Amino acid sequence: MSKLIKNIKQLELRIFYLMILSIILCTLSIQDVNAQDVKKNRVRLKADYVKIMDGDSYFDISASAKIEKKNVPVSTIEVIIYHELNDDQIELGTVTTDSNGECRFIIKNFYNLKTDTTNTYNFLISFKGNDAFKKVSKSIEFKDASIAAEMITKDSINYISATLRETSTDSLLVDQSLNVQVQRLFKSLRIGKEFNNTDENGTIIVPIEEGIPGIDGNLIIEVVLNDSDEYGTVKSLVKVPIGVPIVDESTFDQRTMWSTRSKTPIFILVFTNLLIVGIWGIIIYLISNLFKIVKLKS
Amino acid sequence: MNAYNKLVKDLAPKKFNKWSILWVLLLVAVIIAGIIAYIDQLIKGQVVTNMRDYALWGIYISNFVFFVATSFVGSVTVAILRLTNNEWRTPMVRIAEIISVASIIMAGITIMIDMARPDRLLNLFIHARLQSPITWDVIIIPTYIVISLLLLYFPLLPDFAILKKYYTKTSPKLSKWYGKLALNWTGSKVQKTIQTKSIKIIALMIIPVGLLLQTIDAWLFSTTYRIGWDSNNFAPYFISGAFVAGVGALVTVIYIVRKVNKLEKYITDFHFDRLGKFLALACLTYLFFNINEYLIPAFTAKKGEAVHLETLFTGIYATLFWIVTIGGLVLPTIALLFKKGRKPLPLFIIGVIVVVGSWWKRYIIVTPTLLHPFLPIDGVPESWHHYFPSLHEWIITFSTLAMAFLIITLLVRYLPVIPIQRTADEQKISESEKKTES
Repeated sequence: MSKLIKNIKQLELRIFYLMILSIILCTLSIQDVNAQDVKKNRVRLKADYVKIMDGDSYFDISASAKIEKKNVPVSTIEVIIYHELNDDQIELGTVTTDSNGECRFIIKNFYNLKTDTTNTYNFLISFKGNDAFKKVSKSIEFKDASIAAEMITKDSINYISATLRETSTDSLLVDQSLNVQVQRLFKSLRIGKEFNNTDENGTIIVPIEEGIPGIDGNLIIEVVLNDSDEYGTVKSLVKVPIGVPIVDESTFDQRTMWSTRSKTPIFILVFTNLLIVGIWGIIIYLISNLFKIVKLKS
Repeated sequence: MNAYNKLVKDLAPKKFNKWSILWVLLLVAVIIAGIIAYIDQLIKGQVVTNMRDYALWGIYISNFVFFVATSFVGSVTVAILRLTNNEWRTPMVRIAEIISVASIIMAGITIMIDMARPDRLLNLFIHARLQSPITWDVIIIPTYIVISLLLLYFPLLPDFAILKKYYTKTSPKLSKWYGKLALNWTGSKVQKTIQTKSIKIIALMIIPVGLLLQTIDAWLFSTTYRIGWDSNNFAPYFISGAFVAGVGALVTVIYIVRKVNKLEKYITDFHFDRLGKFLALACLTYLFFNINEYLIPAFTAKKGEAVHLETLFTGIYATLFWIVTIGGLVLPTIALLFKKGRKPLPLFIIGVIVVVGSWWKRYIIVTPTLLHPFLPIDGVPESWHHYFPSLHEWIITFSTLAMAFLIITLLVRYLPVIPIQRTADEQKISESEKKTES
């Protein structure tokens, strides 16, 4: 009897161990299942509206994400741009980010788009999400502004005069800071004071320094309302022929010692070929002398 | 045996003795090792060398420059001594011509070894830019090879005819070959006139061509805007260096040939004394250009150059630099100023030292400069800042040197190393109407 009880106890103990083992195994498998759920990262979208007077209006969009506590650009994701009016959304198009996580969307037929009752344009920039990133969208609102810039000359001094208006109401925008700069190869060069605020006529007047070099003497002067909360970035370009012409010092098309073989300097061509022909001419003559010696047997 | 027959017997090429055969076998073994290493280099690419982005020219180029320099001996000894009517040149001109031919052929082969893609060799001609000193080099080396061969061949014509006759009974096969090479030479007046005129033209031509060759070789470096090479002094510096390497090699080979072929009667102490003076002149000239090349920059050097000079004077290359300069140039010059230093054996030892010094001198010219670029390259492995040839490079280089020795050995075996006809003319033991040119 006691043996039977002992056997039953042993059996219970085994069942107990078996249960414990099953629980551990189940827990591990659940962990495995959970491990397959990859945590998606969140994309941060940034969009700047830029308007070039008499040119394109576009959004400069950048996408980044915080991965392992580092901000990294998110490349090759498709971003959709919608125009919002009341409760309607009209898809304007899509654009894909490059390796720097950046892309530019040019708004076609901007003046066909309508504003809301407050004269504000409303856009939505949206990313639908993918295996690695969650979906995200960003709203952009701005009013349309315009800059009318021209060069004027007073007392032999050249000035840039620019007037800033809100387009829809045609009202002058007062006390707004405009930047005046000259386009250069890598980065524009600021001219005038650091801050040029528009006066009561919405206008600034900035003198243009003399002696700025430009190709063929042309300078492209930019008047910029930079990254305004209400109007975005508005840029007006004025081409003025008052620069010092840049003299092209490139020898690309000339015959130089460092040119390609088709542009060898004439003196090198003549001198080298004369030497080659002269020396090899003598060598051929000497070899012909050997033949003469052979023939002079008799 | 009359005097003429004895002379021919003395000066006719000698069969190899057992030591000569051993020497040839040793050279062939080294050459085979070099060919195997080169095939491996062709298959794996130049990664088997230690040349990298910094030391893009290594031992191959310094070896090439050495061969080009040594080939100058044909211009200086044969042509210059001939044009200045130095009669003592007779027993040594042929050896000089042989060294010149062997060196310039090996220079051409060595530069091809340095090319990672020798299959593109033809592109150097098809796409040549005449502004580039490399193109000039591609043109001048084959030109110098042909002129050196002509300089060797024309004076040999009467000797080939003599040897044809000499070997008629003892070795008909050899006699037949010498007969073909003699180009039906009978020693007629017209033949002699053509030969004399041709040799004069070659002697006149090989001097400017030799100077051009050395100058182009120098310009390969000095037109490259690099520390240590950016020098107006480089062409004369190279020419004088070639003068030393060439005459040094001549002294060395002449001593060995004289001993092996038992030519003491023809190549006397007098000849060694003259050669010693010639070598002393070469060394003094080179010493002057060395002082010019290193002392003036030491005064005026900007930062980059100062670092380079410091590497040579007191840095990593200091031991080699001072051994080469003092041991390979200054001390030999001093020794050569004494008559005892110009005796055959001391001169031979000096010749060997000068030649070895000349070889390492080219290494010093090429390598340290490459390790000090004006614009250091970022992010390269530390090992790329240093250079020492790999095993492949050493084997291939030794193989090219062995090839040069083999060419010299075979030419010495089959050609009369001392012009027979001219010696006979000089000793007035033939009835030739006019002296034969050499």
